[in-house]
Formats: sequence, C-alpha cells, structure tokens
Amino acid sequence: MSQLSEDQLDEMIDRERLRETAPLNDWRTIAARAREEGLLRGSEAGRIWGSAQPWLRAAAAVLILVGGIAIGRTTIALPSSASSVASTEAVAPTAASPSAAALATPASSTLGFSSVEEASTTLNRALSDYQRASRFLAANNASGGTRDSLAIYAARAEALDKIVNATERALQTAPHDPVINQYYLATMGARVATEQMVARPVVLKGF
Amino acid sequence: MPFDQLDLKRAIAGDERALQRLWSQHAPHIDAVVRRLCGDAELAADISQEVWMQIFRALPSYRGDSQFGTWAHRIAVNRTLNALRKIRRLAKMETEIEDDSAITEMDSDRTFVAESIEQAMSKLSPGARAVFVLHDIEGYTHGEIGEELGITAGGSKSQLFKARAKLRKLLAHLVDETPTVAGKGKGHVAAV
Repeated sequence: MSQLSEDQLDEMIDRERLRETAPLNDWRTIAARAREEGLLRGSEAGRIWGSAQPWLRAAAAVLILVGGIAIGRTTIALPSSASSVASTEAVAPTAASPSAAALATPASSTLGFSSVEEASTTLNRALSDYQRASRFLAANNASGGTRDSLAIYAARAEALDKIVNATERALQTAPHDPVINQYYLATMGARVATEQMVARPVVLKGF
Repeated sequence: MPFDQLDLKRAIAGDERALQRLWSQHAPHIDAVVRRLCGDAELAADISQEVWMQIFRALPSYRGDSQFGTWAHRIAVNRTLNALRKIRRLAKMETEIEDDSAITEMDSDRTFVAESIEQAMSKLSPGARAVFVLHDIEGYTHGEIGEELGITAGGSKSQLFKARAKLRKLLAHLVDETPTVAGKGKGHVAAV
C-alpha cells in the first residue's frame, strides 16, 4: 500500500491551516449563553424591568401612561395651558382645588375628557399619586428577599440622573413643551424614590 | 472593518453588537481549531460555546500585546483541551501516550478511505490528533504541546511521527487515483 510523501502531507496541512469553516453555532445560541452569564447586556433593560419589584414596574407603567397622555394631548393639537407645566407644589392635590370634580375621575378611565383643564388635572393627579406612591414604597418596602442592593439603586440613580440631565437640556430648548415636562416630572419621581434608597440628597431642579 | 479599541471597550461592557462583530470576525478560525481538536462536530459545537464564553469573560484581561486572534486562539486551545480532559478523552491519551495508540488500529483502517485530511484526522487517537493539530496546523512547539497536554516533548515528537505516518497511509489512495477520478471532487488532493 503506497502512501503520501512527507511533502505531499505538508502541502495538505498547509491547505488545512488556511481553511476556515462555518461557525459551529449561530450567534443567537452564543448570545443566549452570554446573556445567561451576564456577559451580554444588549437586552439588559428588558431583564431589569422583567425582574423589577412591583412598585418599580408600576412606576414604569405610570411613566408610559403619562407620556402617552401627554403625547396624545399634543397630537390632537390642543393648546397647552400653563397649568400643565406643573411644579411640585402645583401637583399636590388640595381639597380646595377647583378641579375637585376632575380628581374624582378614575385615572384608569378610558373615557375622553370634557376639557383640557380636566385632562391636565387628571394628569397632574396621576403624577402626584405616582410620586407619593413611589416614595412610600421606597421607604416601606420590606420584602427583604427581593430587595435590591444599594449598588443597584446607586446605578439606577446614576442612570436616572442622566435622563434628568438630558430632559433638562431639552427643556432649555422647549421650556413649555408638555411632553418633555411630563417626562421630566416622571423621571424626577423615580429619581426621588431611588435617591431615598441610597440616602443621597436630591436637588429638584426647577423647570 | 477591524475590531478597534472602542469596539473592545463596548464588548467588555456587554454591548451585543460589539460582541457579535468580534464573534463574526474570529469564529471561522476559532471554531475550526475547536473542531480539529475534537474530531467530532457535535462535541465541537458544545465546546465552542464554552470557548466563546471564556473569551468574552477574559476580554477585560486582553492587553493588546498580541493580535486579538492569537490571544483568542490560545484561549480556544486551552479551553478545548480542558473540556476534552473533563470528558476523559485526553485522560486516556495521557496514560497511553507512550504506547502505539496511533498505529494500533492500522489493520481496521485499511478499509477506511479518507476524503480529506480532516476526515483522516478523525481516525487518529485523541492524543495523537491533539499533538498533530497543535504542532502541524497550529504551530505549537513540542515543548508547548508538552505543557498543554502534560506529556514530555519527546512523547509529543513520538506521537507526531506516528500520527503523520498514519495520515500518509489513510490518504494514500488520493494520490493513487487517476487524474480523472481526482477531478471528480478530489482535485485539491490530485494537485499534491
């Protein structure tokens, strides 16, 4: 039985050395493994929200609700009233408020509003409720087993700071834009709640 | 577009697009190394996943002293050999490294016709295949192979000699064939 010469074998080896083959796995398989091990953070936001505590998920829902309401109000071309640009004092409901009737309207109602003032009042109430609820839950959440570490809260506060800063820059360009104002308020609410967990002083900037 | 320092930072931070670019650029070569060392595509696919996780984990330690491909290649070889050890394929080789494992199956191999060097390599014992792949294809020295496999440099040389002899016989029919036959899909060997 004959055999290859050493040179012939070396030539085949040279070709084999240069030969590249198709990857043994597809990227989705590799990415799934990397995600499991925390090496890939492409869908980190989804994982964080998916595993977040109930109050944080609720806060996110309110943020989406507030944004949607504000965008809806803008897209139907209703004039934005000065009252919609609420300060932290203005959003606090009082018994003497002229819009007490509007406050009685369920926030989750899918019915339309009869006036801009009514919608604005409802929106402000939702924001106020959200902020108060966030602060309460942040201060009283005693679900020890699922409580996030301070490091996570600190990272979240830092991320929220970036959102606040970006929103503030947007407000300098459009100081009365209701959508940006509502996002700013909602973000500040989340920031306040988070800051309470890491005991860092909060400076609520005016807008 | 080459993978630059910014891409590396993004990959370390877990950016999916950066990691995917890294994988896309290097998987053809890295996975080929894994496949050759394993000699089995299914096992190689499993080990390749481990290899890539190890590369991703080790990214922060990459200092740029060598080409990224070279650095990743070294991880691939180490990780693959470790994985093979774990499943006791190399453990067997390490205890039998000095015997004639590369030629003990020669009689049964007389009926085996390898279509390619990759196919022929799969007929080598795990130890002989590891030595052959590391030395002749990946360019390791016998000293380096000895360190990787826990054998002596002399044992590595001996195993390589036997592996090459076996491959030359397993592939012999390719040069025996007429050019007409070789032209039907074996032209790359007929040119040898």
